[in-house]
Amino acid sequence: MRKILGSFLLAAAAAMPAGDAAAQSAPRDTLVVMREIDADRYDPHRSTARGAGEIIYMMSDTLVSLDWDMRTVRPGLAERWEVSPDGKTYTFHLRRDVTFCDGRPMTADDVVYSISRWVDPATRSPVRWRAGPVKEIRARDPHTVEYELTEPYGELLYQLTLFFASVIDRNTVERLGQNFGVQGFNGTGPYCWTSWTPRQEMVLTRHPTYSWGPPIYQNPRPQVERVIWRVIPEANTRLAAIQTGQADVTQYIPHIAVQQLRNVPTVRMSQQPNYFWDHFMGFKVDKPVMNDPQVRRAINLAVNRDAIVRATWFGNAAPADAYLNPNVTGFDAQAAELVPQYNPDEARRVLDAAGWTMGPDGVRVKNGERASFLVYGLQTAEARRYLEAIQADLRRVGIEMRVQLWDATVGWGRLATQEFDAFVMSYPYISATDGFSLYFDSANRPTPNRMNWNDPRTDELLRQARTALSEADRLAAIAQAQRQIAEANVWLPLARESLWVASAQRVQGARAHGIYGVALYKGLDIRLTR
Amino acid sequence: MSATTTDIAVPRRPGVLKLILRDPGAAVAAAFALAIVLAAVFAPWLAPTDPFDNDLSKAMQPPGSEGLPLGGDTQGRDMITRLLFGLRVTLLMGVAAVAAGGSVGAMLGFVAAFYKRLDGIIMRLMDVLLSFPAILFGLAIAAIFGPGLFSVVLALSIATVPLMARIVRGAALVVMQQDYIEAARAQGMSDARLIRRHLAPNCLSPIFVFATLRFGQVILLGSALSFLGLGAQPPIAELGAMASEGRNFLFFAPHIAVIPSVVIFAVVLAFNVLGDALRDALDPRLRV
Repeated sequence: MRKILGSFLLAAAAAMPAGDAAAQSAPRDTLVVMREIDADRYDPHRSTARGAGEIIYMMSDTLVSLDWDMRTVRPGLAERWEVSPDGKTYTFHLRRDVTFCDGRPMTADDVVYSISRWVDPATRSPVRWRAGPVKEIRARDPHTVEYELTEPYGELLYQLTLFFASVIDRNTVERLGQNFGVQGFNGTGPYCWTSWTPRQEMVLTRHPTYSWGPPIYQNPRPQVERVIWRVIPEANTRLAAIQTGQADVTQYIPHIAVQQLRNVPTVRMSQQPNYFWDHFMGFKVDKPVMNDPQVRRAINLAVNRDAIVRATWFGNAAPADAYLNPNVTGFDAQAAELVPQYNPDEARRVLDAAGWTMGPDGVRVKNGERASFLVYGLQTAEARRYLEAIQADLRRVGIEMRVQLWDATVGWGRLATQEFDAFVMSYPYISATDGFSLYFDSANRPTPNRMNWNDPRTDELLRQARTALSEADRLAAIAQAQRQIAEANVWLPLARESLWVASAQRVQGARAHGIYGVALYKGLDIRLTR
Repeated sequence: MSATTTDIAVPRRPGVLKLILRDPGAAVAAAFALAIVLAAVFAPWLAPTDPFDNDLSKAMQPPGSEGLPLGGDTQGRDMITRLLFGLRVTLLMGVAAVAAGGSVGAMLGFVAAFYKRLDGIIMRLMDVLLSFPAILFGLAIAAIFGPGLFSVVLALSIATVPLMARIVRGAALVVMQQDYIEAARAQGMSDARLIRRHLAPNCLSPIFVFATLRFGQVILLGSALSFLGLGAQPPIAELGAMASEGRNFLFFAPHIAVIPSVVIFAVVLAFNVLGDALRDALDPRLRV
């Protein structure tokens, strides 16, 4: 009997692993933020995860900040800045009232140290390229920083709003060495590192003298004494906690629950309409089957994006009918029109015309090769759902798609190999040039250019988009690049996620921002009413 | 010498099946197990729809909707069809793992019992294997070979080997002390033949009992691995994977997770009860 009971309990446990919602309603001065996963470390130059970013944005500041429209660059640590006529030198004038969490005043030397550490090859930052072609960064005086480039880089200010460009304290970095961001942190942000229990919670305390918040907030000072970032991996537990007030804020809401939460009177919802986090499938254009542009076109035609996005994100994402979000700087409407839209009959015609004839098992064949390909992705509930739907759509036009989903621990390694034909992924971006440079520059092979897209014309257009002096030239170049990629059907664009922040009744001022996928950004306006 | 035979009326030993069916619980379990196996075998004929053909407009329809007595899954596929095909994959996974792991384990068990020199090495090796949980094997193997049914079956087979080896060795050691083994040895029978003809057949009942019980456990473990995403990859239906898929919608469309979970529960329970009954029927010590 014990065995029977044991197997029942195990079966029940396997079917519904209940999370541990040990959270109790926090005191009035403590804000409890829920998130899905922790980061491995909180060093702005060694982490690229959104999970690291959401806390680094609270613990440190960047020279410039980004407005809610995701286009306008606003002051940060720099109160103003100038760009030289040749576009190669940026001069930042720093605020004079800024101090680190340990009370030491911040000067131009700290900015120079931080950016130099970011671009130093020895730091091995995976996102070093974002800082642009740096020639030298120097302090002209204690409150002026000159950022000199070897060639113009129109993206620089956008990139400097990202948390990788955070200013950190040299003494703390040198004292902690490899453990910087693991055992401690010292920045100029509105909140200071207090304690970290990996995979459980991060506790931050208000920076007492902080008054230099970005002008996008009504309050330049933090309104809450303590912030606890608690990791709750189970979606249903988060959902219950936000509704019962056990936790205060989260952006990690299961998609299906967004509409429901909007109707719950005790929960406040805030949406960011300018949120750039897209899902796509990329094709390795040099692999068999995938190297036929007509197959890639047919795949784009065969997939019913609207239905799939609705069934996967339940209205919490928009079908991506183009490679980029129309609200992003540099979006080209003409390129968007080149992306094929759902038309399965046309897909069949394209395949017939390209010589792919239907085989006996329902999969097309050309020159003895089956129209079959292997797609890799990370194991997420969304990926599984939309891939299964895409699989069914492709089967209807005679293309077989095999799916292999990997746990994130090994998945990123597998996604860097050449063993798959296509992959699915989602990513944040701030501008058209940002997104396209990341994925379509031949220098970024094998990752993140996992499509192995290697075209000198694209490279040249991307270079122009980054370095041209006039904005019109930059926009023209990135528009051209978008048209070229859209015509070649290098991707199957899938969905544009929406960003919502849910907050409990006692929370005011929790507004969704969404820079690099981070909803709370500095969180300066957040107040607790009881 | 006069051959005198004493005629004592020995009551005929009832068959195993009869013994099992005496217990009403076991009879129900046996019938249910049979029905499940038949449903899995004849799934392609029993299923009302194509298991892979989706209709997103019917996604997550509750049970009792038109044309969907048990509702639709997240892809709008008929739950009944998915369950039948899922059962098929789940049972096949169980059979493969128990057969592969069980036969290797049994072989090792016989060898360990028969050759005293190898006993220590083999059994220590088994102890090492026993110290790893099956889920850990699954995670490690999936990391090497990639998630998929092959990885799951391999992990479950490896996890079954030491258990089977222990049981078979124990049973074989008892049999080894029987006089007929001594007699066969005296006849000059070769080791291989001795194991095959005398040792193995007399150890069959514990092997069967354990295999049946293990089958239930393996299904549960396999479902757990699939639930974690290490097993069946889309679009293959598998009960654990189906439960996992529905987990995200427990509050919204509970049937997607609950129905496969209940089926897993019922299958595991049936095979456990059956295994217990089988042991009662086959174990001479428990016979009254």
